[in-house]
Amino acid sequence: MTDRDAAALDAATVAALARLMGYAPLDAPAAARVAAGAASAVAAVRASAAAPLGDAEPGSFLAELERLAGPAP
Amino acid sequence: MIDPQRATLVEAAAALAQGALSSEELTRDCLARAHRLNPALNCFIRIEDEAALAAARRADAARAAGRTLGPLHGVPVAVKDMFDDPGRETSSGSPIRRGFRGAATATALARLEAAGAVVLGALHMSEFALGPTGHNAFYGPCRNPWNPAHIAGGSSSGAGAAVAARLAFGALGSDSGGSIRLPAAANGILGLKPTYGRVPRSGAMPLSWSIDHIGPLARSAADLARLLGVVAGHDPRDPSASRRPVPDYAAGLGSGVAGLTLGVPRGVFRDGVAAEVERALEAALATLEAAGARRVAVTVPGAEHLAELGRVILYSEAAALHGHWLRTRPEDYSPQVRARLATGLAIPAAAYAEALQLRAPLLRRFCDAVFAACDVLVTPALAIEVPTLAATDVGSGASMWSTIAQLVRCLAPFNYLGVPALSVPVGFTANGLPVALQLVGRPFAEATLLGVAAAYQRLTGWHERLPPLH
Repeated sequence: MTDRDAAALDAATVAALARLMGYAPLDAPAAARVAAGAASAVAAVRASAAAPLGDAEPGSFLAELERLAGPAP
Repeated sequence: MIDPQRATLVEAAAALAQGALSSEELTRDCLARAHRLNPALNCFIRIEDEAALAAARRADAARAAGRTLGPLHGVPVAVKDMFDDPGRETSSGSPIRRGFRGAATATALARLEAAGAVVLGALHMSEFALGPTGHNAFYGPCRNPWNPAHIAGGSSSGAGAAVAARLAFGALGSDSGGSIRLPAAANGILGLKPTYGRVPRSGAMPLSWSIDHIGPLARSAADLARLLGVVAGHDPRDPSASRRPVPDYAAGLGSGVAGLTLGVPRGVFRDGVAAEVERALEAALATLEAAGARRVAVTVPGAEHLAELGRVILYSEAAALHGHWLRTRPEDYSPQVRARLATGLAIPAAAYAEALQLRAPLLRRFCDAVFAACDVLVTPALAIEVPTLAATDVGSGASMWSTIAQLVRCLAPFNYLGVPALSVPVGFTANGLPVALQLVGRPFAEATLLGVAAAYQRLTGWHERLPPLH
Protein backbone atom coordinates (compact mmCIF):
# COMPACT_ATOMS: atom_id res chain seq x y z
CA MET A 1 0.00 0.00 0.00
CA THR A 2 1.41 3.42 -0.91
CA ASP A 3 1.04 6.58 1.17
CA ARG A 4 -1.37 7.77 -1.49
CA ASP A 5 -3.52 4.64 -1.01
CA ALA A 6 -3.58 5.20 2.73
CA ALA A 7 -4.59 8.81 2.24
CA ALA A 8 -7.46 7.74 -0.03
CA LEU A 9 -9.51 6.77 2.97
CA ASP A 10 -9.54 8.99 6.02
CA ALA A 11 -11.12 8.85 9.43
CA ALA A 12 -13.78 11.38 8.48
CA THR A 13 -14.95 9.17 5.60
CA VAL A 14 -15.13 6.16 7.90
CA ALA A 15 -17.15 8.18 10.40
CA ALA A 16 -19.49 9.28 7.61
CA LEU A 17 -19.98 5.69 6.45
CA ALA A 18 -20.73 4.64 10.02
CA ARG A 19 -23.38 7.35 10.25
CA LEU A 20 -24.82 6.29 6.89
CA MET A 21 -25.22 2.73 8.17
CA GLY A 22 -26.78 3.92 11.42
CA TYR A 23 -23.87 2.80 13.61
CA ALA A 24 -22.86 4.50 16.80
CA PRO A 25 -20.04 7.03 16.24
CA LEU A 26 -16.45 5.80 16.41
CA ASP A 27 -13.88 7.86 18.25
CA ALA A 28 -11.23 9.52 16.08
CA PRO A 29 -8.34 7.10 16.83
CA ALA A 30 -10.59 4.09 16.13
CA ALA A 31 -11.85 5.64 12.89
CA ALA A 32 -8.25 6.31 11.83
CA ARG A 33 -7.28 2.68 12.54
CA VAL A 34 -10.31 1.46 10.61
CA ALA A 35 -9.38 3.69 7.68
CA ALA A 36 -5.82 2.39 7.62
CA GLY A 37 -6.90 -1.24 7.94
CA ALA A 38 -9.54 -0.99 5.23
CA ALA A 39 -7.20 0.87 2.86
CA SER A 40 -4.55 -1.80 3.30
CA ALA A 41 -7.06 -4.59 2.68
CA VAL A 42 -8.47 -2.97 -0.42
CA ALA A 43 -4.95 -2.36 -1.75
CA ALA A 44 -4.35 -6.13 -1.52
CA VAL A 45 -7.37 -6.74 -3.73
CA ARG A 46 -6.10 -4.27 -6.29
CA ALA A 47 -2.64 -5.81 -6.26
CA SER A 48 -3.97 -9.34 -6.66
CA ALA A 49 -6.28 -8.77 -9.59
CA ALA A 50 -3.71 -9.16 -12.33
CA ALA A 51 -6.16 -10.02 -15.11
CA PRO A 52 -9.86 -9.66 -15.88
CA LEU A 53 -11.81 -12.11 -13.76
CA GLY A 54 -14.41 -12.74 -16.44
CA ASP A 55 -16.93 -15.34 -15.37
CA ALA A 56 -15.13 -16.44 -12.18
CA GLU A 57 -18.02 -17.49 -9.95
CA PRO A 58 -17.37 -17.29 -6.17
CA GLY A 59 -19.94 -20.03 -5.59
CA SER A 60 -17.64 -22.53 -7.31
CA PHE A 61 -14.96 -22.29 -4.61
CA LEU A 62 -15.88 -25.56 -2.85
CA ALA A 63 -16.00 -27.37 -6.20
CA GLU A 64 -12.54 -25.99 -6.97
CA LEU A 65 -11.19 -27.28 -3.65
CA GLU A 66 -12.66 -30.71 -4.40
CA ARG A 67 -11.23 -30.71 -7.94
CA LEU A 68 -7.76 -29.74 -6.74
CA ALA A 69 -7.83 -32.45 -4.08
CA GLY A 70 -7.77 -35.19 -6.68
CA PRO A 71 -9.70 -38.45 -6.46
CA ALA A 72 -11.55 -39.17 -3.22
CA PRO A 73 -10.19 -42.04 -1.09
CA MET B 1 -5.49 -47.31 35.68
CA ILE B 2 -4.36 -44.41 33.53
CA ASP B 3 -3.01 -41.11 34.76
CA PRO B 4 -5.67 -38.66 33.52
CA GLN B 5 -3.10 -35.87 33.45
CA ARG B 6 -0.76 -37.80 31.16
CA ALA B 7 -3.16 -39.78 28.99
CA THR B 8 -4.13 -38.59 25.52
CA LEU B 9 -7.70 -38.70 24.27
CA VAL B 10 -7.07 -41.96 22.41
CA GLU B 11 -5.45 -43.51 25.48
CA ALA B 12 -8.34 -42.37 27.68
CA ALA B 13 -10.87 -43.86 25.23
CA ALA B 14 -8.96 -47.15 25.25
CA ALA B 15 -8.80 -47.22 29.06
CA LEU B 16 -12.55 -46.61 29.24
CA ALA B 17 -13.21 -49.36 26.68
CA GLN B 18 -11.07 -51.79 28.69
CA GLY B 19 -12.96 -50.95 31.88
CA ALA B 20 -9.85 -49.59 33.58
CA LEU B 21 -12.02 -46.77 34.87
CA SER B 22 -15.50 -45.41 34.33
CA SER B 23 -16.48 -42.33 32.44
CA GLU B 24 -17.97 -40.96 35.65
CA GLU B 25 -14.62 -41.30 37.44
CA LEU B 26 -12.75 -39.66 34.58
CA THR B 27 -15.34 -36.89 34.24
CA ARG B 28 -15.25 -36.17 37.98
CA ASP B 29 -11.47 -35.93 37.80
CA CYS B 30 -11.64 -33.44 34.90
CA LEU B 31 -14.38 -31.40 36.58
CA ALA B 32 -12.45 -31.22 39.85
CA ARG B 33 -9.35 -29.94 38.05
CA ALA B 34 -11.44 -27.53 35.99
CA HIS B 35 -12.91 -26.02 39.16
CA ARG B 36 -9.47 -25.85 40.76
CA LEU B 37 -7.74 -24.17 37.81
CA ASN B 38 -10.43 -22.09 36.19
CA PRO B 39 -10.00 -19.19 38.64
CA ALA B 40 -6.38 -18.92 37.46
CA LEU B 41 -6.89 -19.67 33.76
CA ASN B 42 -10.43 -18.44 33.06
CA CYS B 43 -10.65 -21.00 30.25
CA PHE B 44 -14.28 -22.02 30.90
CA ILE B 45 -17.21 -19.63 30.57
CA ARG B 46 -19.39 -22.35 32.11
CA ILE B 47 -18.49 -25.66 33.74
CA GLU B 48 -21.53 -27.91 33.41
CA ASP B 49 -21.12 -30.44 36.22
CA GLU B 50 -24.60 -31.91 36.22
CA ALA B 51 -24.93 -32.30 32.47
CA ALA B 52 -21.43 -33.75 32.16
CA LEU B 53 -21.95 -36.26 34.97
CA ALA B 54 -25.33 -37.28 33.53
CA ALA B 55 -23.71 -37.87 30.13
CA ALA B 56 -20.90 -39.84 31.78
CA ARG B 57 -23.38 -42.04 33.63
CA ARG B 58 -25.27 -42.66 30.37
CA ALA B 59 -22.00 -43.66 28.74
CA ASP B 60 -21.20 -46.04 31.61
CA ALA B 61 -24.70 -47.52 31.52
CA ALA B 62 -24.47 -48.09 27.79
CA ARG B 63 -21.13 -49.81 28.19
CA ALA B 64 -22.48 -51.97 30.99
CA ALA B 65 -25.30 -52.98 28.66
CA GLY B 66 -22.78 -53.97 26.00
CA ARG B 67 -23.41 -51.01 23.73
CA THR B 68 -20.65 -48.82 22.31
CA LEU B 69 -21.71 -45.28 21.57
CA GLY B 70 -18.81 -44.45 19.29
CA PRO B 71 -15.11 -43.60 19.14
CA LEU B 72 -15.40 -41.01 21.92
CA HIS B 73 -17.43 -43.20 24.29
CA GLY B 74 -17.26 -41.58 27.72
CA VAL B 75 -14.35 -39.22 26.93
CA PRO B 76 -14.55 -35.73 28.52
CA VAL B 77 -14.16 -32.89 26.01
CA ALA B 78 -15.25 -29.26 25.88
CA VAL B 79 -16.42 -26.85 23.20
CA LYS B 80 -15.94 -23.19 22.42
CA ASP B 81 -19.00 -21.30 23.64
CA MET B 82 -20.49 -20.83 20.18
CA PHE B 83 -22.13 -24.14 19.25
CA ASP B 84 -25.92 -24.09 19.41
CA ASP B 85 -27.67 -26.50 21.75
CA PRO B 86 -31.30 -26.10 22.86
CA GLY B 87 -30.25 -27.49 26.25
CA ARG B 88 -27.38 -25.09 26.88
CA GLU B 89 -26.71 -21.38 26.81
CA THR B 90 -24.34 -20.21 24.11
CA SER B 91 -22.80 -16.80 24.79
CA SER B 92 -20.40 -16.42 21.82
CA GLY B 93 -18.29 -14.49 24.32
CA SER B 94 -20.70 -11.56 24.27
CA PRO B 95 -23.41 -10.17 26.56
CA ILE B 96 -25.61 -9.84 23.50
CA ARG B 97 -26.01 -13.62 23.39
CA ARG B 98 -26.12 -14.18 27.15
CA GLY B 99 -28.91 -16.68 27.81
CA PHE B 100 -29.24 -17.55 24.12
CA ARG B 101 -30.25 -21.12 23.30
CA GLY B 102 -30.08 -22.31 19.72
CA ALA B 103 -33.10 -23.95 18.13
CA ALA B 104 -31.17 -27.04 17.09
CA THR B 105 -27.88 -28.58 18.16
CA ALA B 106 -24.91 -27.59 16.01
CA THR B 107 -23.98 -30.49 13.76
CA ALA B 108 -20.36 -30.73 14.95
CA LEU B 109 -21.46 -30.76 18.61
CA ALA B 110 -24.23 -33.27 17.89
CA ARG B 111 -21.68 -35.54 16.20
CA LEU B 112 -19.33 -35.32 19.20
CA GLU B 113 -22.14 -36.28 21.56
CA ALA B 114 -23.44 -39.03 19.27
CA ALA B 115 -19.91 -40.49 19.28
CA GLY B 116 -20.15 -40.72 23.07
CA ALA B 117 -18.23 -37.62 24.13
CA VAL B 118 -18.98 -36.08 27.52
CA VAL B 119 -19.13 -32.29 27.20
CA LEU B 120 -17.67 -30.66 30.33
CA GLY B 121 -18.78 -27.14 29.53
CA ALA B 122 -18.44 -24.05 27.38
CA LEU B 123 -14.99 -22.66 26.75
CA HIS B 124 -13.80 -19.07 26.84
CA MET B 125 -13.55 -17.24 23.53
CA SER B 126 -12.85 -13.79 22.22
CA GLU B 127 -15.97 -11.64 21.88
CA PHE B 128 -17.80 -12.99 18.82
CA ALA B 129 -14.57 -14.79 17.84
CA LEU B 130 -13.04 -11.48 16.80
CA GLY B 131 -9.61 -11.23 18.36
CA PRO B 132 -6.41 -13.27 18.42
CA THR B 133 -5.29 -12.72 22.02
CA GLY B 134 -7.92 -14.19 24.32
CA HIS B 135 -8.79 -10.82 25.82
CA ASN B 136 -12.50 -10.43 26.41
CA ALA B 137 -13.87 -7.18 27.83
CA PHE B 138 -16.90 -8.95 29.33
CA TYR B 139 -15.55 -12.29 30.50
CA GLY B 140 -11.96 -11.28 31.30
CA PRO B 141 -8.85 -12.63 29.65
CA CYS B 142 -8.11 -16.31 29.25
CA ARG B 143 -4.64 -17.11 30.59
CA ASN B 144 -1.89 -19.40 29.37
CA PRO B 145 -1.20 -22.45 31.61
CA TRP B 146 2.53 -22.23 30.80
CA ASN B 147 2.57 -18.73 32.30
CA PRO B 148 -0.66 -16.97 33.24
CA ALA B 149 0.87 -13.56 32.49
CA HIS B 150 0.88 -14.53 28.80
CA ILE B 151 -1.95 -14.78 26.29
CA ALA B 152 -3.68 -18.05 25.54
CA GLY B 153 -4.25 -16.86 21.97
CA GLY B 154 -7.62 -16.53 20.35
CA SER B 155 -10.25 -16.68 19.46
CA SER B 156 -10.58 -20.30 20.69
CA SER B 157 -8.66 -19.26 23.81
CA GLY B 158 -10.33 -21.58 26.30
CA ALA B 159 -9.94 -24.55 23.98
CA GLY B 160 -6.18 -24.04 23.84
CA ALA B 161 -5.75 -23.43 27.56
CA ALA B 162 -8.11 -26.16 28.80
CA VAL B 163 -6.62 -28.93 26.67
CA ALA B 164 -3.06 -27.86 27.50
CA ALA B 165 -3.89 -27.79 31.23
CA ARG B 166 -5.36 -31.31 30.99
CA LEU B 167 -8.85 -30.17 31.91
CA ALA B 168 -10.33 -31.80 28.79
CA PHE B 169 -8.96 -34.44 26.40
CA GLY B 170 -9.92 -32.46 23.33
CA ALA B 171 -11.91 -29.44 22.25
CA LEU B 172 -13.83 -28.01 19.36
CA GLY B 173 -13.01 -24.52 18.11
CA SER B 174 -13.48 -22.28 15.12
CA ASP B 175 -10.93 -20.59 12.86
CA SER B 176 -11.60 -17.58 10.63
CA GLY B 177 -8.05 -16.21 10.60
CA GLY B 178 -6.03 -18.50 12.84
CA SER B 179 -8.40 -18.94 15.78
CA ILE B 180 -7.76 -22.68 16.22
CA ARG B 181 -4.09 -22.78 15.25
CA LEU B 182 -2.99 -19.76 17.29
CA PRO B 183 -4.33 -20.93 20.68
CA ALA B 184 -2.97 -24.40 19.89
CA ALA B 185 0.45 -22.87 19.18
CA ALA B 186 0.42 -20.58 22.20
CA ASN B 187 -0.55 -23.39 24.58
CA GLY B 188 1.67 -26.18 23.23
CA ILE B 189 -1.01 -28.44 21.76
CA LEU B 190 -2.16 -29.28 18.22
CA GLY B 191 -4.93 -27.49 16.35
CA LEU B 192 -6.34 -28.32 12.94
CA LYS B 193 -8.15 -25.98 10.60
CA PRO B 194 -9.57 -28.46 8.12
CA THR B 195 -10.28 -27.76 4.46
CA TYR B 196 -13.17 -25.35 3.87
CA GLY B 197 -16.29 -27.53 3.68
CA ARG B 198 -14.79 -30.53 5.50
CA VAL B 199 -16.56 -29.92 8.85
CA PRO B 200 -20.13 -28.57 8.77
CA ARG B 201 -20.80 -25.22 10.38
CA SER B 202 -24.54 -25.50 10.86
CA GLY B 203 -25.47 -24.26 14.31
CA ALA B 204 -22.04 -22.72 14.92
CA MET B 205 -21.96 -18.96 15.47
CA PRO B 206 -21.05 -17.40 12.12
CA LEU B 207 -18.42 -14.69 11.89
CA SER B 208 -17.80 -14.86 8.14
CA TRP B 209 -19.59 -17.56 6.18
CA SER B 210 -16.92 -17.66 3.44
CA ILE B 211 -13.97 -17.91 5.82
CA ASP B 212 -15.20 -19.76 8.94
CA HIS B 213 -13.86 -23.24 9.64
CA ILE B 214 -14.67 -25.61 12.52
CA GLY B 215 -11.99 -27.96 13.82
CA PRO B 216 -10.45 -29.81 16.76
CA LEU B 217 -7.69 -29.05 19.26
CA ALA B 218 -5.95 -31.87 21.13
CA ARG B 219 -2.60 -33.07 22.45
CA SER B 220 -1.65 -35.64 19.82
CA ALA B 221 -2.07 -36.20 16.09
CA ALA B 222 -3.94 -39.41 16.87
CA ASP B 223 -6.38 -37.46 19.05
CA LEU B 224 -6.99 -34.96 16.26
CA ALA B 225 -7.53 -37.80 13.78
CA ARG B 226 -10.12 -39.32 16.11
CA LEU B 227 -11.96 -36.03 16.61
CA LEU B 228 -11.85 -35.01 12.95
CA GLY B 229 -13.20 -38.38 11.87
CA VAL B 230 -16.18 -37.80 14.15
CA VAL B 231 -17.09 -34.25 13.13
CA ALA B 232 -16.22 -34.28 9.39
CA GLY B 233 -18.63 -35.12 6.60
CA HIS B 234 -21.56 -33.85 4.60
CA ASP B 235 -24.46 -32.16 6.36
CA PRO B 236 -27.68 -31.33 4.57
CA ARG B 237 -28.10 -28.35 6.92
CA ASP B 238 -24.90 -26.73 5.63
CA PRO B 239 -24.81 -25.97 1.90
CA SER B 240 -21.06 -25.30 2.12
CA ALA B 241 -20.30 -28.80 3.47
CA SER B 242 -18.50 -31.09 1.05
CA ARG B 243 -19.97 -34.42 -0.05
CA ARG B 244 -16.49 -35.86 -0.36
CA PRO B 245 -16.17 -39.11 1.64
CA VAL B 246 -14.41 -38.90 5.01
CA PRO B 247 -11.28 -41.09 5.08
CA ASP B 248 -10.01 -43.07 8.05
CA TYR B 249 -7.68 -40.40 9.41
CA ALA B 250 -6.05 -42.82 11.84
CA ALA B 251 -5.00 -45.18 9.05
CA GLY B 252 -2.07 -43.05 7.87
CA LEU B 253 -0.71 -42.01 11.24
CA GLY B 254 2.04 -44.61 11.19
CA SER B 255 3.21 -44.04 7.65
CA GLY B 256 6.13 -41.76 8.54
CA VAL B 257 7.70 -39.03 6.45
CA ALA B 258 10.23 -40.99 4.36
CA GLY B 259 10.00 -39.80 0.77
CA LEU B 260 7.82 -36.83 1.64
CA THR B 261 8.87 -33.41 0.38
CA LEU B 262 8.52 -30.47 2.76
CA GLY B 263 8.33 -27.04 1.16
CA VAL B 264 9.78 -24.19 3.18
CA PRO B 265 8.81 -20.71 1.98
CA ARG B 266 10.66 -17.55 2.76
CA GLY B 267 9.30 -14.04 2.31
CA VAL B 268 6.38 -13.10 4.52
CA PHE B 269 6.41 -16.47 6.25
CA ARG B 270 9.98 -16.08 7.52
CA ASP B 271 10.71 -12.35 7.56
CA GLY B 272 11.09 -11.03 11.08
CA VAL B 273 10.59 -14.40 12.75
CA ALA B 274 11.91 -14.33 16.32
CA ALA B 275 15.32 -15.96 16.66
CA GLU B 276 14.15 -18.58 19.14
CA VAL B 277 11.16 -19.47 16.96
CA GLU B 278 13.48 -19.74 13.96
CA ARG B 279 15.80 -22.09 15.85
CA ALA B 280 12.95 -24.35 16.98
CA LEU B 281 11.51 -24.45 13.46
CA GLU B 282 14.89 -25.39 11.97
CA ALA B 283 15.38 -28.09 14.60
CA ALA B 284 11.95 -29.54 13.80
CA LEU B 285 12.74 -29.55 10.09
CA ALA B 286 16.05 -31.29 10.81
CA THR B 287 14.21 -33.94 12.82
CA LEU B 288 11.85 -34.60 9.92
CA GLU B 289 14.74 -34.65 7.43
CA ALA B 290 16.57 -37.17 9.58
CA ALA B 291 13.44 -39.32 9.42
CA GLY B 292 13.57 -39.34 5.63
CA ALA B 293 11.74 -36.21 4.53
CA ARG B 294 13.29 -34.01 1.86
CA ARG B 295 13.34 -30.24 2.24
CA VAL B 296 12.95 -27.84 -0.67
CA ALA B 297 12.58 -24.09 -0.91
CA VAL B 298 9.25 -22.97 -2.35
CA THR B 299 7.67 -19.67 -3.30
CA VAL B 300 4.10 -18.91 -2.33
CA PRO B 301 2.75 -16.68 -5.09
CA GLY B 302 1.16 -13.47 -3.88
CA ALA B 303 1.80 -14.48 -0.28
CA GLU B 304 1.99 -10.90 0.92
CA HIS B 305 -1.67 -10.26 -0.01
CA LEU B 306 -3.44 -13.47 1.03
CA ALA B 307 -4.14 -12.51 4.64
CA GLU B 308 -5.48 -9.10 3.62
CA LEU B 309 -7.73 -10.68 0.99
CA GLY B 310 -9.16 -12.85 3.73
CA ARG B 311 -9.72 -9.80 5.90
CA VAL B 312 -11.65 -8.06 3.11
CA ILE B 313 -14.10 -10.96 3.13
CA LEU B 314 -14.12 -11.49 6.89
CA TYR B 315 -14.78 -7.87 7.84
CA SER B 316 -17.37 -7.33 5.08
CA GLU B 317 -19.37 -10.40 6.07
CA ALA B 318 -18.95 -9.81 9.82
CA ALA B 319 -20.19 -6.21 9.47
CA ALA B 320 -23.25 -7.51 7.65
CA LEU B 321 -23.90 -10.25 10.21
CA HIS B 322 -23.63 -7.77 13.07
CA GLY B 323 -25.38 -4.86 11.35
CA HIS B 324 -28.61 -5.08 13.33
CA TRP B 325 -26.90 -5.31 16.72
CA LEU B 326 -24.40 -2.61 15.82
CA ARG B 327 -27.33 -0.29 15.19
CA THR B 328 -29.46 -1.32 18.14
CA ARG B 329 -27.04 -2.46 20.87
CA PRO B 330 -23.69 -0.77 20.27
CA GLU B 331 -23.09 -0.46 24.00
CA ASP B 332 -23.02 -4.26 24.26
CA TYR B 333 -19.86 -4.46 22.15
CA SER B 334 -16.42 -3.63 23.46
CA PRO B 335 -15.01 -0.56 21.67
CA GLN B 336 -12.28 -2.72 20.11
CA VAL B 337 -14.66 -5.25 18.56
CA ARG B 338 -17.05 -2.52 17.45
CA ALA B 339 -14.15 -0.82 15.64
CA ARG B 340 -13.01 -4.08 14.02
CA LEU B 341 -16.53 -4.70 12.77
CA ALA B 342 -16.66 -1.15 11.43
CA THR B 343 -13.77 -2.05 9.12
CA GLY B 344 -16.33 -3.86 7.01
CA LEU B 345 -18.14 -0.57 6.45
CA ALA B 346 -15.09 1.02 4.91
CA ILE B 347 -14.45 -1.75 2.39
CA PRO B 348 -16.18 -1.06 -0.93
CA ALA B 349 -18.67 -3.74 -1.96
CA ALA B 350 -16.77 -4.14 -5.23
CA ALA B 351 -13.57 -4.98 -3.32
CA TYR B 352 -15.46 -7.64 -1.34
CA ALA B 353 -16.90 -9.16 -4.52
CA GLU B 354 -13.52 -9.08 -6.21
CA ALA B 355 -11.81 -10.77 -3.25
CA LEU B 356 -14.40 -13.54 -3.46
CA GLN B 357 -14.02 -13.80 -7.21
CA LEU B 358 -10.22 -14.01 -6.91
CA ARG B 359 -10.36 -16.85 -4.43
CA ALA B 360 -10.60 -19.84 -6.80
CA PRO B 361 -8.02 -18.54 -9.29
CA LEU B 362 -5.58 -17.75 -6.47
CA LEU B 363 -6.19 -21.18 -4.94
CA ARG B 364 -5.36 -22.78 -8.31
CA ARG B 365 -2.22 -20.66 -8.59
CA PHE B 366 -1.19 -21.59 -5.04
CA CYS B 367 -1.71 -25.32 -5.54
CA ASP B 368 0.03 -25.30 -8.93
CA ALA B 369 3.06 -23.45 -7.62
CA VAL B 370 3.43 -25.03 -4.19
CA PHE B 371 2.27 -28.61 -4.54
CA ALA B 372 4.15 -29.14 -7.79
CA ALA B 373 7.25 -28.71 -5.65
CA CYS B 374 6.32 -30.31 -2.33
CA ASP B 375 3.78 -32.45 -0.49
CA VAL B 376 3.46 -30.26 2.59
CA LEU B 377 4.24 -26.59 3.17
CA VAL B 378 5.95 -25.79 6.49
CA THR B 379 5.82 -22.34 8.11
CA PRO B 380 6.00 -21.00 11.65
CA ALA B 381 2.56 -21.02 13.27
CA LEU B 382 3.39 -18.04 15.44
CA ALA B 383 6.29 -15.93 14.18
CA ILE B 384 6.96 -14.23 17.51
CA GLU B 385 7.29 -15.40 21.09
CA VAL B 386 3.95 -15.77 22.87
CA PRO B 387 3.33 -12.20 24.11
CA THR B 388 2.10 -11.16 27.51
CA LEU B 389 -1.48 -10.16 28.20
CA ALA B 390 -0.21 -6.70 29.12
CA ALA B 391 1.58 -6.22 25.78
CA THR B 392 -1.61 -6.98 23.87
CA ASP B 393 -4.12 -5.22 26.08
CA VAL B 394 -6.00 -2.05 25.21
CA GLY B 395 -3.97 0.95 26.24
CA SER B 396 -0.58 -0.69 25.85
CA GLY B 397 0.24 1.71 23.04
CA ALA B 398 0.76 1.64 19.31
CA SER B 399 2.99 -1.44 19.57
CA MET B 400 -0.09 -3.44 20.55
CA TRP B 401 -1.43 -3.28 16.98
CA SER B 402 1.77 -4.49 15.40
CA THR B 403 2.02 -7.33 17.94
CA ILE B 404 -1.55 -8.36 17.20
CA ALA B 405 -0.87 -8.27 13.45
CA GLN B 406 2.14 -10.54 13.99
CA LEU B 407 0.03 -13.15 15.74
CA VAL B 408 -1.89 -14.32 12.69
CA ARG B 409 0.26 -13.34 9.75
CA CYS B 410 1.36 -16.92 9.00
CA LEU B 411 -2.08 -18.38 9.69
CA ALA B 412 -4.71 -16.15 8.04
CA PRO B 413 -3.57 -16.75 4.42
CA PHE B 414 -4.89 -20.31 4.59
CA ASN B 415 -8.39 -19.29 5.64
CA TYR B 416 -8.63 -17.34 2.40
CA LEU B 417 -7.27 -20.29 0.39
CA GLY B 418 -9.43 -22.81 2.28
CA VAL B 419 -6.66 -25.43 2.43
CA PRO B 420 -6.02 -27.53 5.55
CA ALA B 421 -3.49 -26.23 8.07
CA LEU B 422 -2.24 -27.82 11.29
CA SER B 423 -0.34 -26.24 14.17
CA VAL B 424 2.15 -28.59 15.88
CA PRO B 425 4.22 -27.78 19.01
CA VAL B 426 7.98 -27.96 18.38
CA GLY B 427 9.57 -26.67 21.55
CA PHE B 428 9.77 -23.78 23.95
CA THR B 429 11.37 -20.37 24.11
CA ALA B 430 13.76 -19.58 26.97
CA ASN B 431 10.89 -18.10 28.98
CA GLY B 432 9.05 -21.45 28.92
CA LEU B 433 6.36 -20.56 26.40
CA PRO B 434 5.56 -22.92 23.50
CA VAL B 435 6.72 -22.64 19.88
CA ALA B 436 4.85 -24.26 16.99
CA LEU B 437 5.13 -24.86 13.28
CA GLN B 438 2.32 -24.97 10.78
CA LEU B 439 1.82 -27.74 8.21
CA VAL B 440 -0.26 -26.82 5.16
CA GLY B 441 -1.56 -29.32 2.64
CA ARG B 442 -3.53 -29.72 -0.56
CA PRO B 443 -7.31 -29.43 -0.24
CA PHE B 444 -8.68 -32.38 1.79
CA ALA B 445 -5.16 -33.67 2.58
CA GLU B 446 -5.74 -33.59 6.35
CA ALA B 447 -4.52 -37.21 6.60
CA THR B 448 -1.14 -36.24 5.16
CA LEU B 449 -0.72 -33.41 7.69
CA LEU B 450 -1.73 -35.67 10.57
CA GLY B 451 0.76 -38.29 9.35
CA VAL B 452 3.61 -35.76 9.44
CA ALA B 453 2.56 -34.55 12.89
CA ALA B 454 2.32 -38.12 14.19
CA ALA B 455 5.78 -38.94 12.84
CA TYR B 456 7.20 -35.82 14.50
CA GLN B 457 5.51 -36.63 17.81
CA ARG B 458 6.97 -40.14 17.78
CA LEU B 459 10.44 -38.59 17.53
CA THR B 460 10.02 -35.82 20.09
CA GLY B 461 8.41 -35.37 23.46
CA TRP B 462 7.24 -31.77 23.40
CA HIS B 463 3.57 -32.74 23.52
CA GLU B 464 4.12 -34.83 26.65
CA ARG B 465 5.31 -31.93 28.80
CA LEU B 466 2.94 -30.70 31.48
CA PRO B 467 2.46 -26.96 31.97
CA PRO B 468 3.05 -25.55 35.47
CA LEU B 469 -0.70 -25.01 35.79
CA HIS B 470 -2.30 -28.41 35.26
